Amino acid sequence: MVTLVNAILLEIGQAVLALLLAPGLVGFVRWLKARLQNRLGAPVWLPYVELWKLFGKEVVISRNASWLFRVTPYIVFACVLVVTFLVPMIIAPLPFDNAGDLLVVVYLLLLGTFFLALAGLDTGTAFGGMGSSREMTIAALAEPAIALAIFGLALGAGSTNLGQIVTLTLINPGVTINPGHFLAFAAMFIVSLAETGRLPVDNPSTHLELTMIHEAMILEYSGRYLALIEWASWLKLTVFFTLLANLFIPWGIATTLTLGSLGLAVLTLILKLVVLGVTVAVIETRIAKLRLFRVPELIGMSFVLALLAITSSFLLK
Amino acid sequence: MNNQLFFQLSTLGASVILLFGITLLWRKSMRSYAETFKWQSVALSLMFIVIGYLGKDPELYAVAAALFILKAIIIPNYLRRMEKRFGDDRELKPYVNVATSLVLAGLFVLLAYSVTRPLVMVSDLPTRAGMPLAMGLIFVGLFLIITRKKAMAQIISFLVMENGIALLAALGTYGTPLIVELGVFLDALMGFLVMQVFVYHIHDTFETIDVDQMNELKH
Repeated sequence: MVTLVNAILLEIGQAVLALLLAPGLVGFVRWLKARLQNRLGAPVWLPYVELWKLFGKEVVISRNASWLFRVTPYIVFACVLVVTFLVPMIIAPLPFDNAGDLLVVVYLLLLGTFFLALAGLDTGTAFGGMGSSREMTIAALAEPAIALAIFGLALGAGSTNLGQIVTLTLINPGVTINPGHFLAFAAMFIVSLAETGRLPVDNPSTHLELTMIHEAMILEYSGRYLALIEWASWLKLTVFFTLLANLFIPWGIATTLTLGSLGLAVLTLILKLVVLGVTVAVIETRIAKLRLFRVPELIGMSFVLALLAITSSFLLK
Repeated sequence: MNNQLFFQLSTLGASVILLFGITLLWRKSMRSYAETFKWQSVALSLMFIVIGYLGKDPELYAVAAALFILKAIIIPNYLRRMEKRFGDDRELKPYVNVATSLVLAGLFVLLAYSVTRPLVMVSDLPTRAGMPLAMGLIFVGLFLIITRKKAMAQIISFLVMENGIALLAALGTYGTPLIVELGVFLDALMGFLVMQVFVYHIHDTFETIDVDQMNELKH
């Protein structure tokens, strides 16, 4: 059993690691995408510089903005930060494992989305309202798919507890070629792209009024508020990637508290994030953004995958 | 241990093949229909090889080879030629919209599970868990046939349903005897060629392959 001090240190260490890795991951995906499109690409560390720059800038707020507009960046950031304490990134089970399961993680992330949509509406600009409306449409569609994918996983492991799912998969590696596991992974992957505003659903690299969703909501933000929101959204991407990597292919994660296994876990985590980053960059280079009215079809696909995952893990017992 | 692996692999393979069928529900262009069908057939032949190897039935290798040549090379070639002749036109709005048909596909699979329950209970082959999925593919194929408007999409849907039947036979009985299997393949090929001729005639007469236009007599 780990002591209390060790447990807290471990949790804080993991959260700091996630905070530090998130801008790097986004920078890496951007750079790789640029290289794949025959562009030179900004350096991988650009997002760090971006954050530094934004934190130093003055905040400009519309006269019509209410308190909601001011607290939203903190709420959004806090929601994602709490999630980094719950998701097993380098060790499983985490000391705080009993504080929240997979459902808590997903709904904390959705809570952030909810506040962001409110803030988009708050200033009363046309773009903000449009972005919020789109974001809510997608979130409402993605939610049943996420819930089903989670239940698909939980049925396989017999628990929604993250640590338990990871440990069980480690003990019983045959689970990973189980169709339920595989289908739940595919469903979760599609929904992750939708939730983190990646390409077939939302394009993170443009401010084109016809298509933007996440960018439209945060158009009014500047300075440290913008920095917090951007950092939170990068962190969200990292969290979703980590969930995908560690819930479905957990090897490399530390199960004992030794320096060596923790170091190995950090290295494998970075490797898994790089692999997923390459996948996303290749996907984003190969496909075009879907028209907004086709997004329900994509998420419907994910819903069906999740449903199949559940049927197969439920009926194949 | 070997049986356990066989069980997992056959279920996984059946779900991949079913997934290719479900992807057809939201693809639009004829080219992607043909591509999806081709890859489904490749997966099906791999499935036959796996069943042949783990079920120790070498006859299935021959079936897999025939299947690969016919459904992954010859028919896709014909389809490509057809598609070139008609131009890459897209499937018109199907009778049921995509989101609904995806949800319906999920329900079909559930239905397939309940329909095949007695079959699965009787069988003691390690491949039995894939049978509901194969039945689901047959349902999805039937659904595709009745909801698409382009004659070419209907042909591909028919072929997908045929794949489902072949998969069901392979999973349920490790394949029918070679001669029957070959007969079925030739039947499918003949059916396909006849349908192809029909489609060319439809195209020549009506200048479209949209069967929705054919509900009144033109001449």
